[in-house]
Amino acid sequence: MASADSDTQPTEAIPHAVKIIVAGGFGAGKTTLVSSVSEIAPLSTEEVMTEASYGVDDLGGVEEKTTTTVALDFGRITIGTDIVLYLFGTPGQDRFWFMWEELAAGALGAVVLADTRRLDTCFHAVDFFERKGVPFIVAVNRFEGSTEYSAEEVREALDVPENVPVVAADARERKSSKEVLVELVTHVLRSRQAAMSG
Amino acid sequence: MNAERQQPQEESTVALTRRAPAELAPPEGEEERFLRPFAVDAGVNTSRPDGPVEQLDMLSRVVAARTPGRYEWLRPERETILNHAERASTVVELTAELGLPLGQVRAIAAEMLAEGSLQRCGPTRSLGHSDLLHAVLVGLRSL
Ligand SMILES: Nc1nc2c(ncn2[C@@H]2O[C@H](COP(=O)(O)OP(=O)(O)O)[C@@H](O)[C@H]2O)c(=O)[nH]1
Ligand SMILES: [Mg+2]
Repeated sequence: MASADSDTQPTEAIPHAVKIIVAGGFGAGKTTLVSSVSEIAPLSTEEVMTEASYGVDDLGGVEEKTTTTVALDFGRITIGTDIVLYLFGTPGQDRFWFMWEELAAGALGAVVLADTRRLDTCFHAVDFFERKGVPFIVAVNRFEGSTEYSAEEVREALDVPENVPVVAADARERKSSKEVLVELVTHVLRSRQAAMSG
Repeated sequence: MNAERQQPQEESTVALTRRAPAELAPPEGEEERFLRPFAVDAGVNTSRPDGPVEQLDMLSRVVAARTPGRYEWLRPERETILNHAERASTVVELTAELGLPLGQVRAIAAEMLAEGSLQRCGPTRSLGHSDLLHAVLVGLRSL
């Protein structure tokens, strides 16, 4: 893959860019998790979405379109000289699914943040990653005043298989966020090994 | 405000945003003049039906193959891209730098690749998937 096909190839080492997705409902702690482990303040990128206005039929080619922008936060973790990890928080709303497709392409894996105050807000994320075959783990964020659920209760509510790790986390703590990522990568490795030996 | 638009409508959304209608494709040779107006108002430039050949992922890495020209300021996005990509940069980092939508930066970068102003760069040291995963794991553990 290392290309030596040009004379202007830069002299600095070019690292692999590895993508990890952080998904979950609005307010589940995605931005918080990305910030707590990123080596830079999260950057933001935008995408423009054009969509047909709801309920408007194609009236002789006159179709109303609305334009919306969707913001994505991302953070970065440099690992040695060979690898840079990019962490992307998913856009919260359902109508931004098109960005999820792009995020999922080539992603190493995903963390689904489960907010125990509203577990249902991460159902979509779980469905999506299962459907796309993107390996994921579930990280349960504990918010003050929310019911304490055990990992097993969350697993049951989300109906995720036994081999998908469900871990407790606090996205505000760098150490905890880092452990979540370690858990994800370990899970991805384990799944690959299982797939290759099975 | 969008309460009535709850239905995800995934498929149609994808179709509408990923593919620009054929009649909106810039005529041969006029890509540059067409790009900005489209890019600014509609975001339909995310991809074009018959090109560019360059498929850029958000994490594709590019590097400037030349320095900004004397009249580059006329197209400030390009000037910024050339300056920022003096060191190899990912498309998504360029978008953050420029403050422009991903689709637009992707389109400009693809044109710049096609005309030779930018070059794509792959990792210096190639790693197999498994080695990559192990290295990521070790790196994360030692954070
Ligand atoms: N108690 C608790 N609060 C959190 C945690 N993660 C995030 N928060 C808080 O929840 C709020 C929303 O978090 P944010 O990261 O913006 O959510 P996002 O919408 O998923 O990006 C912020 O006020 C955070 O401080 C967590 O793990 N535990
Ligand atoms: Mg957020």
